[in-house]
Amino acid sequence: MIELQWLIPLLPFVAALLVHLLSGRPGQQVARLSVALNLVVVILAAYQLFHYIAADTGPQWAALAGGWVSLQIDPLSAIMALVVSGISLVVHIYSVRYMVEEPGYGRFFMLLDLMTGSILLMVVAGDLITLLVAWHLIGVMLYFLLGHNTEPPRTQRYAFWTFIAYRLGDLPLVLAAVILFQTYGVLDFPTLFERIAAMPDARTFMDLPVTGSVAFLVALAAFAKSAQFPLHVWLPYTMEGPTPVSALMHAGIVNAGGIIINRFAPVFVHSSEILHLLFVVGLLTALIGSVLMLTQNDIKKALGYSTMGQMGFMVMEAGAGAFALAIFHLIAHGVFKGTLFLNAGNVINAARRHDGVPNEPLYDFLVERKSAPTRLPWLMIAAVTLIVPLAILVMVHAWAAQDFFQQQGAIVLLFFGWVAGVQVLFSAYRLDTENPLRMMALIILSFTVVVVGYVVVGHTFEAFLYPDAAFRAALYSAASIHELTFNMLVVLLAIIMVLGWMGAYFTRVRRPPADEGNGSTWLILYSLFSRELYVADVCERVTARLLDLSKRLNVWLRWS
Amino acid sequence: MSILLLVLAAFFLPLFPASVVFNRLAAANDHLGVRLALFVLWPQIGVLLILWSDLAVAPGLIAAWALLSALLYAFRMLTVREVGRWSAMLASSAWPLAWLYALQTPGVANLVAFTLALTVAPVLMLLVCAALTTRLEAAYTGLHGGLARDLPRLSGVIVVTTLAAMALPLFPGFFALLAVLGGATLWMAIGILLTWLLWSWAGVRLLEGTVFGPRSGPIAADLTVLAAWGLSLLIGVIVAGGLAWTGGAL
Repeated sequence: MIELQWLIPLLPFVAALLVHLLSGRPGQQVARLSVALNLVVVILAAYQLFHYIAADTGPQWAALAGGWVSLQIDPLSAIMALVVSGISLVVHIYSVRYMVEEPGYGRFFMLLDLMTGSILLMVVAGDLITLLVAWHLIGVMLYFLLGHNTEPPRTQRYAFWTFIAYRLGDLPLVLAAVILFQTYGVLDFPTLFERIAAMPDARTFMDLPVTGSVAFLVALAAFAKSAQFPLHVWLPYTMEGPTPVSALMHAGIVNAGGIIINRFAPVFVHSSEILHLLFVVGLLTALIGSVLMLTQNDIKKALGYSTMGQMGFMVMEAGAGAFALAIFHLIAHGVFKGTLFLNAGNVINAARRHDGVPNEPLYDFLVERKSAPTRLPWLMIAAVTLIVPLAILVMVHAWAAQDFFQQQGAIVLLFFGWVAGVQVLFSAYRLDTENPLRMMALIILSFTVVVVGYVVVGHTFEAFLYPDAAFRAALYSAASIHELTFNMLVVLLAIIMVLGWMGAYFTRVRRPPADEGNGSTWLILYSLFSRELYVADVCERVTARLLDLSKRLNVWLRWS
Repeated sequence: MSILLLVLAAFFLPLFPASVVFNRLAAANDHLGVRLALFVLWPQIGVLLILWSDLAVAPGLIAAWALLSALLYAFRMLTVREVGRWSAMLASSAWPLAWLYALQTPGVANLVAFTLALTVAPVLMLLVCAALTTRLEAAYTGLHGGLARDLPRLSGVIVVTTLAAMALPLFPGFFALLAVLGGATLWMAIGILLTWLLWSWAGVRLLEGTVFGPRSGPIAADLTVLAAWGLSLLIGVIVAGGLAWTGGAL
């Protein structure tokens, strides 16, 4: 049903036009019109996805008569169209009342519709030009949505940061499209990817490999759109925009990097070095995002850095060859981050009613007659914490896919799963509870349920997104490194992790007095992280210098 | 003879320092009609001169010179506050790209259309400049900001025109840049992309100094509904024209 696919990006644009024309009407009528049309898009996207699965017709592609624009339906476009339109619909419904007292109510819905249409166009684009048009429009729409409140200079400044970062991400994709067109002479994706598969060793400028160069440029584009280090500066500051925009951005727009990497998977499969680059940049971003999140005292910025960390994990997964898992991750992240943002008002209200500060243990013991918290022996806990998550992960993966362990990427993902599991159990140990055994058992049970669900859904999802098993294996294979190096790295990382946990445990047990002097190294590190590694400061300084130079040139050349 | 024609063309499809002549001329004339005629006809004279000459004399030198000129004016646009001068500098940054396109030996009609596509945004910006001058007595960014609050229709036109100046989709400049990039070498492509980035930066600074920010300056009347529709129609025709020229590639 490729014909219906046209309606998916078209309807939001129609909604935007209608909202603009009818924006003079009082009340919430235009917003409800926008919501209704977006609901139709969600129904269409759901129908397309289920029809694609049920009819099993395989990917389809179609262009308008005259070859103006083309669309496609394949697993990636079908699933992402539903996700994007679904999140957008929730944001639309939320905004109907949330934005009603804001100036520019109609304009907001028009921009929201334009943004939705642009993302959907990117998702279903069937050729390079349509993709480029959509890719550019996303940045433009985001700029105007973030700057919806037109007066505060702070809002405009941070909207500008986002816009420039997105422009930095637009241009590498343009260059990638140029290289692909110059080399293979076609624009539509099906023919393009066929030719790439037939001629993966083609060369381009300066005798560089086409696939490697294009993969590198696509990766750069994804880094800027998905806030990878050091192009992350804009993300934590986007909270100046309205809350629904934050929700849409953190749940949907920022995922564009993962989508574009998956779209160009037939290029990445021939570019091992770039997959390694994705892994390293993703890992660095995840680490820096997480550390910066922990050192922020502004909760909104902390949420922004949390998204940055998650985007780092997503890119890292792609770098490990788990392309489908990156999409699964971005969907899961989109749902929970969207919920967090849209629920922010309720959290604030709840905080006003109850401060959330836990009682002193002495108060609990004397007034509420609760027995004192107990803890399990640390040796037992250490053994359970380190071994149980590993055992659960290995058993569940072995049950879900026998050949899973043959791929290095799979081991990497297991390793991170293990780290996350240990972290959960370690945190559980630190909780004060009357019955620690029961608490530990419940957490292990929850962890098992999560792992089983994640693994089963993950493997099913991977088979849906990339039905060709040979292609999936080729992606993992391309992401692999020398076996000895890989094993050494895993062991080294495991040792670092365990030492880190032990350090954290003994620091807590020792409980150093608050006034004990910290080493200057820690203070320097803390100031470095609390100032966000000075990346924003450096950018501002460079910007000021460039503007100064431009002004001097103009004066020197007498403004002509 | 050919070299003489090329040197002459450097004044009309302006390459620095010959571009100073065009910028001085543009600044010297306040009359909108004269300015519009200058912006539309000036580069087409350059196109004619290029077509009569032989670019094969020094293609590398011409490409480098054109790129540096485009970059220089794009960079200088960042701090220009007078909207008239801003549009002249945009033209001085965009038109040199016609040299790069000409080096790819396109047809005559394509070269003319390419130059027209890059002329659209500066011409629209001249109309914005005239509208601002009429209402606020001066078209300076940062002087009378926050127009979005009181003059929504004029602000809308400024926003759309600035998007055209940034060569964003679906404006003709976007497709013109894709056309020149399609046959560009690596260094040429990087230079063009940098120029494109600088246009975006300059465009946002222009919006920040006019449409956005706290409202300041005298009370002024907004565009009439008729004028707003007229300009929207003009922009629609321009977009459709650009699509008709470049579309159908699939």
